[in-house]
Amino acid sequence: MIARAQRYDPRPWPRRVLAAIGAFTISGTSRLLLFMAFATTVAFVALRREAWRGPVWAQFKRVLNQVAVRSLPTTVVTGMLVGFALVTQAVYWLAQTGTTGLVGPVIVILLIRELVPILVGLIVFGRSGTATLIELGEAQSKGWLRLLEIQGLDPLALLVLPRAVAFAVGSFCLATVLLCSTMLTSYFLAYGLELIAYSIWDFADAVLRAMKIQDFIVPPLKCIVIGYMVALTCCSTGLGRRDESDELQRLVPRGFVRSALAIMLVNTLFDLVA
Amino acid sequence: MAARPGRSVLSLQGVALADRQFSAHTARLDLELPRGEVALVQVEDEHDAAMLVDLCLGLADPGAGEVRFLGVDWTTRTPRERFHRRRRIGAVVQTDVWPSHMTVLESVLVARAYHFNQPQAEVIADATELARLFGLPGLPVGRRETTPVRALVRAACVRGFLGSPDLIVVQDQVLDQSSELAVPMAQAISAACDRGATVLWITASLATQAAQFVQPNHAFRLGDHGLVRVRRSR
Repeated sequence: MIARAQRYDPRPWPRRVLAAIGAFTISGTSRLLLFMAFATTVAFVALRREAWRGPVWAQFKRVLNQVAVRSLPTTVVTGMLVGFALVTQAVYWLAQTGTTGLVGPVIVILLIRELVPILVGLIVFGRSGTATLIELGEAQSKGWLRLLEIQGLDPLALLVLPRAVAFAVGSFCLATVLLCSTMLTSYFLAYGLELIAYSIWDFADAVLRAMKIQDFIVPPLKCIVIGYMVALTCCSTGLGRRDESDELQRLVPRGFVRSALAIMLVNTLFDLVA
Repeated sequence: MAARPGRSVLSLQGVALADRQFSAHTARLDLELPRGEVALVQVEDEHDAAMLVDLCLGLADPGAGEVRFLGVDWTTRTPRERFHRRRRIGAVVQTDVWPSHMTVLESVLVARAYHFNQPQAEVIADATELARLFGLPGLPVGRRETTPVRALVRAACVRGFLGSPDLIVVQDQVLDQSSELAVPMAQAISAACDRGATVLWITASLATQAAQFVQPNHAFRLGDHGLVRVRRSR
């Protein structure tokens, strides 16, 4: 057993507490600013044509396949379960109160504006973000990050950029699939249970009529930004792992907390602005 | 941009190699490597060898002195410019290290495909030719985990010599111990020098069989205070 000598701090305890709060605030703010600078840099690099070289494209296609294609079954099943919940809760209670005409606004507010972007963020993190965390978490400790730098390959361009853009595009695709599968499931279930009596076209018409112009812009944009932020969070958390002393098992929970915070933060910011 | 004749491809002037593991002294390094020459440097400690590679390749800045590659001091360049300049350097280092998200083939070709617009078929043909020189039937296409260690070491050699780099840095203890690679390595170095490349081989011992077949223009040993010129016995 090793006994560690504690450093003696002569300051009174209120000053020590204030110093600790101050240090925490400064470190949190500097990390946030660093992350914002990172996100802006990747966005600017993504707009440069020369950044999209052959290997970057290859990585983009691989990650997009992982995000958008391999996550399809998970997304469809999630959509069906959400559709089931929507019928058992929202549509059922609307039918009980005789206000099935409100089905459109309820779906628009509940599903399109709020639920789908958050669910897509969580699916993207669970299916692809964790893989990215582990993949990039080994980059520094296994030495291949140094190897890429020796070869003159910029990790930002080769590792972060394709993932960020693929996650953003993939999130938009998955959101569309999730929304369609949820709405179809909820309609057929409600129709089967005789909670609603109108056709699928009338149902679609009710939903579309409840939507405003911004509902065609803000929720898709929200999904894209959420996917982008999840990718950047996973990349920065993974690449931030310096050596083996920082265990890989601790990386995934850390990445999950940061990604969940990023998803909620983006969702709130969009709600406030839009 | 070709190096002007007479100008060193790699130049270390008064470079301080500090924070050494097995020496309390800071070594002062002075080294001039003109075009087409080979230098063997014996660095016994692997940590010191990796630090020397980092300094030569502009991955780390020296505490004192300057490292020039093709006449340009690394410290005067931005990180982006440094990445770009490293396209002219081939490195046979960390032969056991391969990115987990790429196959061995992709990893061998990635730098070439990233920096140059050469058709992929041509790059693969060049790489296959080099692979045959190093004793492989072709380039390994599987992932690192499914590829034998011997093939990985050879593929790492292909990765370092591929293209026409101005400077080739060799540093790996696995390579030092591999007697099978001694002759192909000497042939590859000789061919690279004929093309005008400069080779810096940092070895754990000048007496290793791998280094015995190389005909260096300069041979040094890293001592406590810096590089000491040595005469290699055969």
